[in-house]
Amino acid sequence: MTAPANTRLPSRRYALGVGMAGEGVKYFRFWIAAAVLVSFLGPLAISRFNDIELSTWFYTANVAKWFTAFVGGGFVYALVPNMIAAGLTRRELSVSMGVFGAMWSLVLGACAVAGIAIERFYYDAMGWSQGIDADGAIAPIGSWGDTLAFAAVYPLLYLVYFAAGCVIGAASYRWESSGWLLLVPILPIVFSLDNALYDTEPFGPGWMGFLGRYMDEWGRGVVLAGIVLVALVLAAGAHRILIDIPLRSKKA
Amino acid sequence: MFDDGAPIYRQIADQIKAEIMNGSLQPGGKVMSTNQYAAFYQINPATAQKAFRELVDEGVLYKQRGVGMFVADDARDKLAADFRDRFFERVLAPLVREARQAGIPLTDIIDYLRASDGNAGGAVNQTEKGALQ
Amino acid sequence: MSFTVNLRDVTLKYGDADALADVDLTLEAGKIYGLLGRNGAGKTSLLSLIAAFRKPTSGAVLVGGEPVWENAPIVSRVALIREGGDFDDSDTVKATIETGQIRPDFDLDYALKLADKFELSLKKKVRELSRGKRSVLAAVCGLAARAELTMFDEVHLGMDAPTRDAFYKELLAEYMDRQHTVVLSTHLIDEVANYLEEVVIVDRGRILRHEDVETFQGMGATLTGPADAVDAVAAGLDVLAEQRLGATKSVTVSARPDAATRERAANAGIEIGPVGLQDLFIHLTEPGKNGA
Repeated sequence: MTAPANTRLPSRRYALGVGMAGEGVKYFRFWIAAAVLVSFLGPLAISRFNDIELSTWFYTANVAKWFTAFVGGGFVYALVPNMIAAGLTRRELSVSMGVFGAMWSLVLGACAVAGIAIERFYYDAMGWSQGIDADGAIAPIGSWGDTLAFAAVYPLLYLVYFAAGCVIGAASYRWESSGWLLLVPILPIVFSLDNALYDTEPFGPGWMGFLGRYMDEWGRGVVLAGIVLVALVLAAGAHRILIDIPLRSKKA
Repeated sequence: MFDDGAPIYRQIADQIKAEIMNGSLQPGGKVMSTNQYAAFYQINPATAQKAFRELVDEGVLYKQRGVGMFVADDARDKLAADFRDRFFERVLAPLVREARQAGIPLTDIIDYLRASDGNAGGAVNQTEKGALQ
Repeated sequence: MSFTVNLRDVTLKYGDADALADVDLTLEAGKIYGLLGRNGAGKTSLLSLIAAFRKPTSGAVLVGGEPVWENAPIVSRVALIREGGDFDDSDTVKATIETGQIRPDFDLDYALKLADKFELSLKKKVRELSRGKRSVLAAVCGLAARAELTMFDEVHLGMDAPTRDAFYKELLAEYMDRQHTVVLSTHLIDEVANYLEEVVIVDRGRILRHEDVETFQGMGATLTGPADAVDAVAAGLDVLAEQRLGATKSVTVSARPDAATRERAANAGIEIGPVGLQDLFIHLTEPGKNGA
């Protein structure tokens, strides 16, 4: 982790957060480039044998959620001993992780929006259908407006996955043998809300049954509000775990 | 150096005194700074400072603010008496004690000292002659 | 502006066990301290509290006169270097050094100069370093932090003798260049004794002694001579250890005998010798001793 050079104290937390986002993108730049390439060239290869009716980018953008959770958790886990030993307070670290998470989610979210929009253009030009596999039936996303609305929630989804990763990363550092168990409650909640948004397997249909026909009207709003709420709770939880976290003692 | 059990600052003070007595530090001459001593002997500068403070208190060194430490003009005279006392205490007292324990009469020792003093005197005279030639 | 340290009635528990109990300690600004103690005595716990790596169970920890916990202007000028360093093993040596720049007073040029001097290869990953080189990297980061309070916890472990020597030299040079508070926690007491101004001994979670290094060095004595004579002289003294070889007996006492006792001992054919800091430490912290 390369820290910004001799930053002034009150603002170093923000500079550090921005630095981490840059560092993260730089570190994974080849992975990101490869994912983009596969997403666009993959359908081209498959189209020689089959009709294309699924959005590849939808899968890429979904994989990026798990990747985001991994980045959030991995960074927290590595940076707690690293940065606190380098003279950072826990509060500063928590704030800089927040800046990092917000920037990362915005940048990756913007990539997801751009990717889905470009894919729409690309599929239209090739005469393919940009659809998703919802509740066992493949349905096209719909109009350009639908496509953009579909894509617009990605920054928020990245944020909630990032926050979930941070909670689990911080907990795993703090409670060496049992912290990762927080996966058990957090994973189903986040993943099921994500599913509910798209009515995708495995949790989407359940939510559909629960919210029923209202899904088209205000149900989606409820799910989005739920995601915002969960993101806030997770961020607060990560902050709480971090704020008085002790550094582990060294093994002799 | 630094192994006979006396505090290090006292050993440094003793060494500076010895250098004044044998003439390698001249009256009015400048003494190395505490940091130079500390770096040379690899010791805490406060230890070197303690040695200097002791020497200033004894009037052997004096301090000129912002310039450094210097050997007092009368340092040798001051030290001479002190050296004599310490010589008796550190060298002769144990000698007498050990001689008693070993059953050597003090007269034997006095004879021995007289004899070697004669030799030493002769040696000095010879070098002086050699230097003159 | 080097930092003072004040611990007031500090207790640290791990679960039910006391790592530190009711510790009161004051370290003055700008001195080099030696922190001695057996394994598990509480040295690392003590340093962890001072550096705000941990929070005490009770009591106050002040650095530079202020509570150190979550105090950015203070902790950014406090460096605790633990054995092996707190590094991300997947980073390169260069990136690890640059992490230090999060500190306002970190001196990157100095760090790179030291890395060169100690033959640290900047491109290597931390996980590829030998134990010795890892310790060197930790020491380099500590020196270049240019902190107002720098604490090295057993950093010498894994360094070979020439490297340790070079490290102590560098530490002293840095200290003279820029006087600040330094704490050296170590087992190799005699090796660092000359660099210290004061010594703190921790034993079983408590501060056992805190004295000038000279007081320590002049503290004990060994009396060696005919057994009866030694017993007679040592009768009124605090005896730390004794051993016997035929008719000769040697005892280690905790205080330097006064002039009258010395005279009496000399006349009885008893030799009085100094006790090394290391030996004194061993005797003072011997299991079964109830300390002070």
